[in-house]
Amino acid sequence: MAYVIGVDVGGTFTDAVLDDDAGTVLAAKSPSTPPDYSRGVLDVLGLLAEQLGKSLPEMLAETHHIAHGTTSSLNALVMGNVPPVGFLTTKGHRDSIFIMNVEGRYLGRSPHELQNVLGQAKDHTLLPKRHALEVTERMDRDGNVVVRLDEDEARAAIRALLDDGVRAIAVSLLWSFRNPAHEHRLRELVAEADPDVFVALSSEVSPRIREFARNATTIMSTQIGPGLRDYLTTLEDTLRENRLSGPLLVMQSNGGAVAAKEAPATAISTVGSVLTGGVVGSVALGRQLGHRNIISTDVGGTTFLAGLVVDGEPVRDTTTVINHHPINVPTLRVDAIGSGGGAIAWLDAGGNLRIGPRSAQAVPGPACYGNGGTEPTNTDANLVLGILPERGLLGGRKPLSLELARQAIETQIAKPLGLSVEEAAAAIYTVQNAQTGDLLRKTVVEAGHDPRGFVLYAFGGAGPAHCAGYAAEVGVGEVVVPLGPVASAFSAYGLASSDIALAAELSDPTTVPFDPARAEQNFAVLEKQVREGLDRQGVKFDTVELHREIDMRYTMQLAEVTAPVVSGPLDAAAIEEAATAFEERYAALYGKDAGFREAGIQAITFRVRGIGILPFSPELPTIPAADSPDPAEARAGHRPVCLDAAAGYADTPVYDYRKLRAGHELAGPAIVEVPTTTVVVPGGTTGTVDSLGNLIIRRTSARSAS
Amino acid sequence: MSMPIFGSETFASRPVDPEELRRSLPSTMDVHSVSQEQVDALDPLTYEVVRHRLWSVTDEMGEALKRMSGSPIVTDANDFDFAISDELGQEVQVGLYNTMLVGAVDLAIYWTLRNRAANPGIAEGDMFLTNDPWVGGGLHQNDVMVYQPVFHDGKLFAWTSAICHEPDLGGVGLGSFSPAAEDVFSESLPTPPVKVVRDFELQRDVADVWVRRSRVPMLVALDLRAKVGANNVGRERLHALIEQYGADTVKAVMKRMMADAETRLRDKLTSLPDGSWSATGYQDQSHEGDRGLHKITVTTTKTGDHLTFDFTGTDPQSGVVNCTYAGMRGGVMLALLPILAGDIPWSAGGLMRCFDLITEEGTLNNATYPAAVGRGPIGPAWLTGNLVAECLSQMLDRDLELGKNVQATCCGTWDTAVIAGLDERAEQPAPFLNIIMEPMSGGYGARPHADGIDTGGLFCIPMGRIPDVEMTEFLYPVLALWRREVPDSGGPGRHRGGVGASIAITPHGTSIPMGLVLASNGKAVSQNGGLAGGHPGNTGLDVLARQSRVSELLASGRMPSELSEISDSLEPAQNYASSYLAPGEVFVMTWQGGGGYGDPLTRDPRAVARDLREQKITADAARSVYGVVVESGTVDEAATAGERERQRSARRERSSLLGAPSGRKADLAAVKRLDDNLVEVAVGDGAAVACRHCAEVLGDGEDVALAVYEGPATDAGPQIIANAADYVDAPVVFRQYCCPSCWTAFYSAVVPAGHPAPPLGRQTPARAA
Repeated sequence: MAYVIGVDVGGTFTDAVLDDDAGTVLAAKSPSTPPDYSRGVLDVLGLLAEQLGKSLPEMLAETHHIAHGTTSSLNALVMGNVPPVGFLTTKGHRDSIFIMNVEGRYLGRSPHELQNVLGQAKDHTLLPKRHALEVTERMDRDGNVVVRLDEDEARAAIRALLDDGVRAIAVSLLWSFRNPAHEHRLRELVAEADPDVFVALSSEVSPRIREFARNATTIMSTQIGPGLRDYLTTLEDTLRENRLSGPLLVMQSNGGAVAAKEAPATAISTVGSVLTGGVVGSVALGRQLGHRNIISTDVGGTTFLAGLVVDGEPVRDTTTVINHHPINVPTLRVDAIGSGGGAIAWLDAGGNLRIGPRSAQAVPGPACYGNGGTEPTNTDANLVLGILPERGLLGGRKPLSLELARQAIETQIAKPLGLSVEEAAAAIYTVQNAQTGDLLRKTVVEAGHDPRGFVLYAFGGAGPAHCAGYAAEVGVGEVVVPLGPVASAFSAYGLASSDIALAAELSDPTTVPFDPARAEQNFAVLEKQVREGLDRQGVKFDTVELHREIDMRYTMQLAEVTAPVVSGPLDAAAIEEAATAFEERYAALYGKDAGFREAGIQAITFRVRGIGILPFSPELPTIPAADSPDPAEARAGHRPVCLDAAAGYADTPVYDYRKLRAGHELAGPAIVEVPTTTVVVPGGTTGTVDSLGNLIIRRTSARSAS
Repeated sequence: MSMPIFGSETFASRPVDPEELRRSLPSTMDVHSVSQEQVDALDPLTYEVVRHRLWSVTDEMGEALKRMSGSPIVTDANDFDFAISDELGQEVQVGLYNTMLVGAVDLAIYWTLRNRAANPGIAEGDMFLTNDPWVGGGLHQNDVMVYQPVFHDGKLFAWTSAICHEPDLGGVGLGSFSPAAEDVFSESLPTPPVKVVRDFELQRDVADVWVRRSRVPMLVALDLRAKVGANNVGRERLHALIEQYGADTVKAVMKRMMADAETRLRDKLTSLPDGSWSATGYQDQSHEGDRGLHKITVTTTKTGDHLTFDFTGTDPQSGVVNCTYAGMRGGVMLALLPILAGDIPWSAGGLMRCFDLITEEGTLNNATYPAAVGRGPIGPAWLTGNLVAECLSQMLDRDLELGKNVQATCCGTWDTAVIAGLDERAEQPAPFLNIIMEPMSGGYGARPHADGIDTGGLFCIPMGRIPDVEMTEFLYPVLALWRREVPDSGGPGRHRGGVGASIAITPHGTSIPMGLVLASNGKAVSQNGGLAGGHPGNTGLDVLARQSRVSELLASGRMPSELSEISDSLEPAQNYASSYLAPGEVFVMTWQGGGGYGDPLTRDPRAVARDLREQKITADAARSVYGVVVESGTVDEAATAGERERQRSARRERSSLLGAPSGRKADLAAVKRLDDNLVEVAVGDGAAVACRHCAEVLGDGEDVALAVYEGPATDAGPQIIANAADYVDAPVVFRQYCCPSCWTAFYSAVVPAGHPAPPLGRQTPARAA
């Protein structure tokens, strides 16, 4: 008897999912408790224990491990709520982080903001210049020392930082990933001055070519490292006091976890953890359902996150953007493509209907929340259309005002456009679905795939009302909406199902074909790092998988694409095989003949990903089967609902998800009410309840105007 | 200048009346269009869904182009663009990259419809290629456009296009920059539209003719393929869109997008007072060996909902500092899009209906064949844009709300240097050619409410970027001694211009000198002027350290950070030169920041202290330019007040009066804003002009009392780092106009001595138009 627990600490709620590996899956939700998020974690764990009928220590004593994802580090970075850090870099190149390759002005901005050049700024610099100090030293691209490190100058710089109250120092020198000697020496010099100061080296945090992203990555990691260390220490101590004996793991952006005590050293690798939980959950559920290609859509009140699973593996990226900086962190690709249920509908100066990107946020929220919001949102339109129940959400515990929703739509949209309130609401619903389709398509196409070969998963409070609509826009034929216990804590479910994942990488730019021994040596170094890292986790694995990869590019082209490399001894054929894999992948991403072989191929970054498979694979439990496909027994009533502007309102059956059984078939149009969400089964589709309690929506007739 | 070429006028494309163009097409050509009734009948839902889809099609074209291109100019610097146009070439949706190209794309399509429809014909499966700046598509020969007609049911439905800057297309100079060119025949040959794809097949013969001219044929071949690929994406997605919504609906949306943009710009113009505003700027030197100043001047007149840009008075074409009509129009768009249309969708076909251009043939920004135009976009077109921006800023500065889009001039040119040589770092030495991209990190101009963006980039390529030093050193045999922001390079002002930057490189990994071609300007006169009394940003400066100690310094464990450490014999590089850079030598480029806004003596002293702390300015400038005394990081309020008073007195002593102040004060509570410094007050039945700072009534609008000073250019501040006499013969001065009562600066510029006087309140709305 042992439990696995996933805990997802979000900005508003802390979710937890427990799996006993024997068919029981429980979920709990509790408010997050900033600034000390560990209290919320204990609260939610307490709720799980309560459901088990045990005390917290009893539950924790039987817990194999806890996998924990937190948004607190990311929040700290985004809000600028970080302690002062120092930055040591190569003389002549301090301003890399202030010039930001110019792109710091526009990276991460929406198309709308991009066009408004005069509204932009570069006021999100990482640190004041007095904390960015140069040291005399220089390597060249081959790792040769051009200028030796001036140690006296370095000592003075370190002293100046410490005197100014800095307790954490980021070190990032040019070409340090080719020769880290000067960075290593600088760490020794800091330790000589004060051994308690937190130090991060770019050659360890991000040994990758392109100094701006490496500098920014190292600095951000240093900004959150000490805070993460303090938080995890407190949390782990408390859990130990409550008899947790198994490991506390922290989720990383790459979709795998790492031991809590290992996390702070490369803190930046944890920042995307809450974003990726949903994708990891989709992989786990997909394994159970036999889906290999999945578009995962997690739609909340203020965000719309889209991730991809291809051939059973999440689509990965090697960089992300945080606070307008390019950050080197192996990550699952998750695109924030919209503003969720709170996206505001508005008329631009030309009188055209627009939706988002501005959101009503949590406060004031949609107009129908009655918290003072006067701008109409998707949620307001859905209420007017009858998709959301007039009595409110959470079974009526969260009341909604139809009157306020109508008023907002009428004043802001319907009257100016000369439409009825209902017509305006239907227009908002349709435009929202179509635009989400455009953005989803961008995500899938840019990853080199055709959306028509995918199944779409929808979770989060605001996804299921729209998913069948936007799935149709991108040509997806099958939609899965989880309805069971984990539906509202899907990200935490993903955490519970994760394994340990570590990656080590090293840029060593060279031209193909190159000496296989060079690659073998690089991989040997990286594999040793990963194996040692896995050993330090303090967890027993079923198996350990090591994956070798090289990021390659055509000599004259910018885009780097990751190619797998076989394990074992490498010969010329193995290198050629990797190059071929690169070319195939490149062609899939950018089109046949897009690559320019004649110009040659370069290997840029070598990487080893290690996965320690845990002896657990949580699965959703089955639900009872229905006697017949007719879902009449689950029918809770009916109401007029408008899902199609042309067809208008139609009397539509409403189902209670708790009464749905495996095998029930819901002919669209239909509505399924779940306390935390509402599912729309549009006309021309059928929703089938599967054995795990998921609703599978498939097209049954030619596509109707959505 | 060589003789005119008879018959070349055939290639000069101009905006056309779309209906006239439609009528001129051969009867064999079926063209798809929709009626105004169909446009009006669109429901808001369909309009928005299809509009967004068209955006997504354009976006996908841009991604395809960027990913397939091999040129760092595209992949690292984003110097490219793409568009979807209607059946007649009017631009419906454009990319956000090089905004100058927007002014040239439609010209090439108009020309193609007029000159290719009958022979060789325009058919489904065709793509055309052009790099003829007279025809359009690009602004100089390096801008190459590949574009295709998209057909539906046998009717010409739309056009898609993709353009990027190619690193080299032949001609005398590296990178096709020919500093001594007498005419276009020394440059890359302009190619009028040729059918490079026929029946969906790339034409091998045409492609070979095209690629053969380049010093980097592989890159050019790759970019050709990238542009074909981007157009393919555009065609396929347009067809899918038509299939889903019907051709008429899609076309109606395209028409309405342009009409919507047009209406919104016209509404905005209507809400502004009528008037006319002028600006004049210069390019120093026109080619290798020249020491002249070459003037572009524009008068912008706003009447009702329409703008006229009149360039009459611009100097005749000269040397290599010319651009074609397409360049002038592109320059106008570089200013108009962000300043007037930042909040309006860039359906450029509609926006361009809101202005006319008046220009004389054979001038710097409307050059006649065979003028050399290789520097078109980075010289004259850019200057055109900056001057138009200056006019629009004066127009908008009358209004506090619209003034949010006012901006002093940004970095005024691309400091151009091309290096080429042999990379000997690998076993097999390899040739290389590279345009140094770092000068793309220029400073932005200050705004009425905010400082300019430091190293914000180039205003004409909003999404430009510069490569990492490590990528530059990985690809080319150089070592960057520094790449850094330059303190004081932002124009001083109440709001400071954004700083520019500097790079120093030395050969590393090559034993033979590399070729070095220089082609830029902005050393002798300011191209990054201030507004409302703000000073200009820095002058550019390129320096060659020939007898350098750099190798010894590095070997002895020292990394130089100043030119004086490197060499005792420094050579300011001329604007146009074919030179070299040998091992052991150092080449340093410093490019421009942005201009300032408002009198620097009125800058918040705490902002000055912050700038000093963040090394955006030097201690010297804090005191001498801003009049702020900072002691160990803190403002000394009393000393600052004293210093500022002293500087105002110095202004009084050094200036001459143009008319006497009235001695009367206006009631500032009941005035109308003219700009940041001047207000209009009612006096009896008429109006008078008063200082917004001290309320002194300065005159009646015909005659405004001012004080003027002219002195050495360096009086503008330490940002004047180049000596004008090194480049041009004409005297260059710092000229400042002040309020003759409170001595606040209204205008501060580094200009040739004969520069025309600014209007400064002598032009009230009542008098204008």
